Amino acid sequence: MVPLTMAKPGEEATIKRIGGKTEIRQFLESLGFVTGSAVTVIAENGGSVIVSVKDSRVAVSREMANKILI
Amino acid sequence: MSIKIALAGNPNSGKTTLFNALTGSNQFVGNWPGVTVEKKEGRLKNHRDVMIADLPGIYSLSPYTLEEVVARNYLTTEKPDAILNIVDGTNLERNLYLTTQLTELGIPMVVAVNMMDVVQKSGDKIFIDRLSKELGCPVVEISALKGTGVAEAAEQAVRLARAGVPMVPQHSFSGSVEHAIAHIEEAAHGKVEGGRQRWFAVKLFERDAKVREQLGLPEPLLAHIEEDIQSCEAEMDDDAESIITNERYLYIASIIRDCCSKKSQGKLSLSDRIDRVVTNRFLALPIFAAVMFVVYYVSVSTVGAWVTDWTNDVLFGEIIPPAIESFLVSVGTAGWLQSLILDGIVAGVGAVLGFVPMMLVLFAFLAFLEACGYMARIAFIMDRIFRKFGLSGKSFIPMLIGTGCGVPGIMASRTIENDRDRKMTIITTTFIPCGAKLPIIALIAGALFGGAWWVAPSAYFVGIAAIVTSGILLKKTRLFAGDPAPFVMELPAYHWPTVSNVLRSMWERGWSFIRKAGTIILLSTVFIWFTSNFGVVDGRLGMVEDLGDGFLSVIGSAIAPLFAPLGWGSWQASVAAITGLVAKENVVGTFGVLYGFTQVAEDGAEYWGTLAASFTPLAAYSFLVFNLLCAPCFAAIGAIRREMNSAGWTFIAIGYQTAFAYAVSLCIYQLGSLFTGGGFGIGTVAAILLAAVFLYLLLRPYQEESVPAPRSSVRARA
Repeated sequence: MVPLTMAKPGEEATIKRIGGKTEIRQFLESLGFVTGSAVTVIAENGGSVIVSVKDSRVAVSREMANKILI
Repeated sequence: MSIKIALAGNPNSGKTTLFNALTGSNQFVGNWPGVTVEKKEGRLKNHRDVMIADLPGIYSLSPYTLEEVVARNYLTTEKPDAILNIVDGTNLERNLYLTTQLTELGIPMVVAVNMMDVVQKSGDKIFIDRLSKELGCPVVEISALKGTGVAEAAEQAVRLARAGVPMVPQHSFSGSVEHAIAHIEEAAHGKVEGGRQRWFAVKLFERDAKVREQLGLPEPLLAHIEEDIQSCEAEMDDDAESIITNERYLYIASIIRDCCSKKSQGKLSLSDRIDRVVTNRFLALPIFAAVMFVVYYVSVSTVGAWVTDWTNDVLFGEIIPPAIESFLVSVGTAGWLQSLILDGIVAGVGAVLGFVPMMLVLFAFLAFLEACGYMARIAFIMDRIFRKFGLSGKSFIPMLIGTGCGVPGIMASRTIENDRDRKMTIITTTFIPCGAKLPIIALIAGALFGGAWWVAPSAYFVGIAAIVTSGILLKKTRLFAGDPAPFVMELPAYHWPTVSNVLRSMWERGWSFIRKAGTIILLSTVFIWFTSNFGVVDGRLGMVEDLGDGFLSVIGSAIAPLFAPLGWGSWQASVAAITGLVAKENVVGTFGVLYGFTQVAEDGAEYWGTLAASFTPLAAYSFLVFNLLCAPCFAAIGAIRREMNSAGWTFIAIGYQTAFAYAVSLCIYQLGSLFTGGGFGIGTVAAILLAAVFLYLLLRPYQEESVPAPRSSVRARA
């Protein structure tokens, strides 16, 4: 398992685990970040990423992207 | 009997566009999540007895941000007669997550699949009939933007609301979860209202604190429910919340296979390709800087300035005042009334109205940035930088909107989840020059600096520097210690905004300035004219020859010493700064009345010359900075009060802003005069001391709260 920040842009990956505080994890879940869903990094900027998840684009800052494991 | 229909759906799914189409109203539609921060109500066209409520967008019924709380509270406590759930057809899977939760509320519901035109264009198909069968409620295809299917969706919702058939959720979770939920439903039987047992059971299963509190179930019953939850958690090897979330997504995945077919998958969309460039590590900031430069250069220095110069010099200089004067003379008006109209109203209101074209240009640009989708990217780009000052990238949107007007800027802070981040954003947002401060900038730049190109950009730089230093400084106090919440934000696809949408926003914001000029500023200028032109001379009350004998001069002279250390201790400037609290345009209007009276009738009709004679450039800059940074106008103070929801916090915000403005202006003037060869005095010492204190506050280490604190305490405060 590697954090989302290490993902290669353009390659699809599967979410294995999401860490972090409960509230933010729940928020990520409602945005489509759940274990088993497919994510693709679209763009990257200093560790912060824009990812494609369930047909939408979500920007995630580096601290949070580090807690999403793929 | 009147019917209430609530529009609910994900952020940026088109609720406000649909609301406008249904009610014929004119709400601005932006392309970033969180445009609607308050619920708005309107009547359905052709159905006067049907109220439509536009709710802020939510991703789920477990609210995360303040605006989501507004939506959830409305749906669960005010109980609309029907829900019109708007779903983005291009992102069905994620949008249905909320839909599964809404169905559990037991309120009659219609699902409107929006953006069908985009779906069809991309070659995808959504089988509405199957979706309707699976969800157990009517499903309608619409395109809110083009207006297709909109009326039908509303008709369906009205029909269901009249029939009052409660929604029965069709989805089921896996065996052991259903087992636990059935147990909870049974245990809570009779304690919750009919039709919504499932909603309460699921929420109790998720250990939702608000629902627990609301139901006030007895302790033994809660313990009994807890047993059920724990046994299910043990079986599924996950926590209750996540179990429900996963079950919902599994259910959606199972129906979506039958309900739609996709063609366009895996390809990079145009939006993605744009994002690769504009959020690129090296290009992001230069592109952003270039965009902002163009916006301000065009609105302040070129187009805006041309139109504004014409209105100021020609329309309110050569055309209107002489015309009114000759009219007044021809009908034989008394001298004092002539003076009131020309020196008071025309000079004051005209000075403000002259800047309206400049503001309109700026508002059009801002509306375009909001509506095309770039605004959300700016928040993302700025997050890395803002984090260093203890603010989140989301704080940038309020500030950018604040360049138009501080009031919507302050309101936009609601999208910020973390309470401390939000309070800090509210305090610092009005540092950025708003549209009403633009006239002050233009006045100082024109009168004292010969229209130098750098004055306007420097004002924005001062605003940004004030935000940055305040961010660092406040973060180091105990009040704001702690890391900002991680940045997570949905980015909408880019699209060309419609012309009418941009113009609507431009006009709406511009109109509020024009209206202000006709009401509050008109009254202020009349008040200023009276108090400055009347006074006690030789023990007799009457009109004064020299404004220096007027009441206002007496009052102004009493406050003036307070501002003398800042370099502008004249009574006129002091009065102008104070009237700026009513509305910032008043600063210009006040100068118009106080300096303009002798010149209005003359050719050119500008008071720039008089103004230039009574200020040194350094003092003028200090005046400008003070007015940019000090407490905002009454309207914005009111917005701060509403958003802070506490008199204490409002006082802290206003006090901090004013003290900060005073300190900065003092340093600018005193240190500036020292370097330009002015003398060394008490003021200089005070400025040096202030600068030292400022640097200390800026550079001292963070308070202990900001070092990784035990998890529990962080959570308790968050």
